[in-house]
Amino acid sequence: MSNWPAETKVIGQSTPRIDGAVKVTGKARYSSDIQAVGWLYGMILRSKWPAAKISSVNLDKARQIPGIKAAVPVRDGAFTIRYYGEEIAAVCGTSKQACLDALRAIEVVADVKHEFVVNEREALKENSARVWDSGPNAPANPRPRENGNVDKAFSECDAVIEGFYSTPVQIHNPMETMGNTVSWTEEGLTAWSSTQGISSVRDGLAGALKLDHSKVRVITEYMGGGFGAKFGAGVEGVLAAKLSKEAKAPVRLMLTRFDQALAVGNRPSSFQKIKIGAKADGTLHAFEGENYGTAGIGAGGDSGGGGGGADIPMPYIYKVPNTRVKQSEVAVNAGAARAFRAPGHPPGSYGMESAMDDLAAKLGMDPLELRLKNDPHPIRQREYKLGAEKFGWREKYKKPGSSPGVVKTGIGCAGAAWPAGGGDRGTQGDAQINPDGTIEFRLGVQDIGTGTRTVIAVVAAELLGLKPEQITVRVGDTNFPPGPGSGGSTTAASVSPAVFDICQKALAQLQTQSGLADARGENWFAACKKLGVSPLVVHGQWQPNLSADRACGVQFAEVEVDTETGLVTLKKVVAVHDCGLIIDKLTLESQINGGVIMGMGYALYEERVMDDLSGVMLNPNFETYKLPGIADVPDIEVVLINMPERGVIGIGEPATVPTAGAIANAVFNAIGVRVGSLPITPAKILAALGKVPPAVSA
Amino acid sequence: MKSFQYATVHSTASARELVADKGAYLAGGNDLLGLLKEYLISADTLVNIKSLPGLNKIEHGRNVWTIGSLVTVAQIENDADIKKTFPGLHEAAADVASQQIRNVATVGGNLAQHSRCWYFRHRDTQCLKKNGDLCYARNGENRYHSLFTGNSCISPVVSSLATIFTSLDATAIVLRDGKETRMSMAELYQRAWENPLAHNSLSNTDLILRVEIPTTRSRSAYLQASDKHAFDWALVSCAAATTIEGGKLKSPRVTLGSISPVPHQVEAANSFLDGKVLDDATATHAADLILKDAKPLEHNAYKVPLAHALIRRTLLKLKGEV
Ligand SMILES: Cc1cc2nc3c(=O)[nH]c(=O)nc-3n(C[C@H](O)[C@H](O)[C@H](O)COP(=O)(O)OP(=O)(O)OC[C@H]3O[C@@H](n4cnc5c(N)ncnc54)[C@H](O)[C@@H]3O)c2cc1C
Ligand code: SF4
Repeated sequence: MSNWPAETKVIGQSTPRIDGAVKVTGKARYSSDIQAVGWLYGMILRSKWPAAKISSVNLDKARQIPGIKAAVPVRDGAFTIRYYGEEIAAVCGTSKQACLDALRAIEVVADVKHEFVVNEREALKENSARVWDSGPNAPANPRPRENGNVDKAFSECDAVIEGFYSTPVQIHNPMETMGNTVSWTEEGLTAWSSTQGISSVRDGLAGALKLDHSKVRVITEYMGGGFGAKFGAGVEGVLAAKLSKEAKAPVRLMLTRFDQALAVGNRPSSFQKIKIGAKADGTLHAFEGENYGTAGIGAGGDSGGGGGGADIPMPYIYKVPNTRVKQSEVAVNAGAARAFRAPGHPPGSYGMESAMDDLAAKLGMDPLELRLKNDPHPIRQREYKLGAEKFGWREKYKKPGSSPGVVKTGIGCAGAAWPAGGGDRGTQGDAQINPDGTIEFRLGVQDIGTGTRTVIAVVAAELLGLKPEQITVRVGDTNFPPGPGSGGSTTAASVSPAVFDICQKALAQLQTQSGLADARGENWFAACKKLGVSPLVVHGQWQPNLSADRACGVQFAEVEVDTETGLVTLKKVVAVHDCGLIIDKLTLESQINGGVIMGMGYALYEERVMDDLSGVMLNPNFETYKLPGIADVPDIEVVLINMPERGVIGIGEPATVPTAGAIANAVFNAIGVRVGSLPITPAKILAALGKVPPAVSA
Repeated sequence: MKSFQYATVHSTASARELVADKGAYLAGGNDLLGLLKEYLISADTLVNIKSLPGLNKIEHGRNVWTIGSLVTVAQIENDADIKKTFPGLHEAAADVASQQIRNVATVGGNLAQHSRCWYFRHRDTQCLKKNGDLCYARNGENRYHSLFTGNSCISPVVSSLATIFTSLDATAIVLRDGKETRMSMAELYQRAWENPLAHNSLSNTDLILRVEIPTTRSRSAYLQASDKHAFDWALVSCAAATTIEGGKLKSPRVTLGSISPVPHQVEAANSFLDGKVLDDATATHAADLILKDAKPLEHNAYKVPLAHALIRRTLLKLKGEV
């Protein structure tokens, strides 16, 4: 049982964001809005080759461009370039154009290598070009992990399917790109950072620049989203600092969309060969999964948030008595992977859940029944039943491919598990209570757009008997007591217990100082007045029995597929999720809406396209790296299971996990054939339907 | 971008004089500024033509309507008379890009826009169209490319307006060497069919003044298919226009966009349809004729069935029943 109050007034309601007004009126200053006195533009020169040996970088001509105040190389001496877009040098100056001119004036002496590989399948071949001189692109023979006796188990099955499911590399595209304004003077360094982790950026900058931690301050008042790539200072952060030192002025170095697409992380691809066998009643009996994917030149580079590797959980949420799993990561000449909203899970869910529906078809079973039969988790069992009811599964379900007409309808579902989501035990915070009854919380956490400020205000308002708008919340400054990085869906579960503790301590202290038996609610102002002239400052920290980890979630999708144009229209998604005690229903629903939309992009539109011949990424822009627009977004119904007894659990990641699997299954249900590859484009639909003629060679 | 001179002109004579060999006409700027910013082209002078008098009007004649080259795509989309008289033109305009782009994109700029091939648009690939020595797309990532071409570049024409103008038999009036020259849509793009370096048949000083549309065809329709539901390029677009007399098609025209460097018309299909009653079978046969010589590549063969479906649907739309 958790220590939260049994009856709540504010917690669990729909509380609008306390910073909503400043955001929509443009008063909130995001990291990319910061204009420090005398600031300069910073920009990065990137490699135009996928592979090269750089012997020298001459910045003299760049420095002579009018307006340019500093130029720095990424490294001294010779170095190797391993992908298109890798950083070479940076400049800063008084205008964007001056910087652009300077970048073009930099002289790079390079031995351009023509052996490179950007395609996973090619990289696996024995005679492939090598990304790293030190060894092959992938381990020669990855060792399988085996439980039970898989070969024997398959022979005992009544139905066996084999499928191949692949997912593309997905690019990190938060609304605000990565970057910082950095000011480095004799006194120390201040970075206004678009980050998910002010503390990790502080530590990263201090480490890279050999500064005392106490000399580095990181501020993130408002920032435009981060999905796992924004924990470290990044090459761009360190370059901004070096430029600032040389130029003796603050430098704003925000990446362009082009930069963002190339070098600051992505979700690895996956190529999954899955074989599953079941007994006639649908009980899963044997599983064999082989997967490889690319994390570019490597995984986890500057990730901080962990993860980022190409391995995926197999057989995902299911327990199969006999399993064999073999996975490998293959290097290619492309930007490295980083943690990306629920690393490993969306591709893991997509592959396994697709295979489950293929198996259901073979068994002649309703795929929901197959899940209820096999899903080991009691919460997901509840969620499937609740969701099926809301979605109208039983009324809508028909056999795959049996929808009549040219435009076919279909439905599908899929499940999620998220192992993290618990709190960071190191989370601390202060509150200052003034004699006039105003109260200000200061936590060294950052609000990455998820509503962390509002969560703090809601918890405080509940415990103090006040309204959320009476609480002032200050976050995003390493001068405040240390807070967690916003990753692993841990933020709400980190700050809520800390705020709980601060409030308990504040109330105890107020009682002592005021002599009032209860300082809450209507007594609040009277109690505060008794403080006399000195404000009360209390310090609190994360406490146990208020938060937990591990969330589930299931989603249902309904699609229309035009079998002549291949266009998939997502009509409806029902998203059923649990995350323990619900703090703010409104911000929670926003997280789930966002998760569904991101999952939809993954299912239908997004894909990094690399060119084999030139080694460049062909779609480093929103014209051809396609993202869902409002015309694509379906009706999303969020269904929540409140479990106050578990305490607070995060939701950011599980919300995006099952969407692609559910959509892919709905498409399969509509057209009766599997498109085993994301994104599910019109071209792939038409191919799956057997309508595409062979190519004619010129 | 590289530095340039900027001039706003008030007469076509000074426009031509200022643009000379190395300048560029600036209309809505959607395409031109992107090209300049990516260093894909350079211009010593940007000649802002938006103040040229008389070119931002839609004029209704009895036999011919005139659309000035500075008329915006949004103006076409919002014009109630166009919607009634040339519904296909309305539909094509409404499908262009996004509202913001339509608000500033002009007819002249839309027709004269450059290739969208992602190799052409990439700052670090030197393909044929940029004076390099090979077409990367031919054996590379060609999902958005042509099924037909007369040269070694397979980048298709992507102007939605060109597709419908072709079916409406519209004529571009181009100021060339001080004289007004009339060019059919086929002529406007012919050079892109022949020459990998060309995006259309215009020379640097050629200025599109207006487009004339005969009112001969009372029915028209336009459809495009994309990966997404809005703000996305057409994978294939299709426009058809005709008159229906006594239940039979008269002078029908069917055009495909985004599958050839020129708006794709097949005379045999137009003449096959002439005098026919429109039904599934005739529409299907016309589609077969139009796609007969398609040369799909590794990744764009899906455009064949897609175009086939669009042709049938667009034709059937002419009947006004769907
Ligand atoms: C994301 C995106 C999606 C798009 N989708 C579509 C679509 O679906 N369909 C479609 O048709 N278009 C689409 N467009 C293209 C857009 O419609 C064109 O870029 C726009 O119409 C160009 O018009 P403009 O007035 O801005 O031209 P500018 O950018 O000003 O000019 C373009 C070119 O035409 C030349 N030019 C301009 N006016 C004249 C003239 N009168 N005579 C001779 N030359 C001239 C210029 O010198 C320049 O070379 C899309 C664009 C984007 C960015
Ligand atoms: S299709 Fe044309 S523009 Fe594209 S790569 Fe080939 S030559 Fe270049």
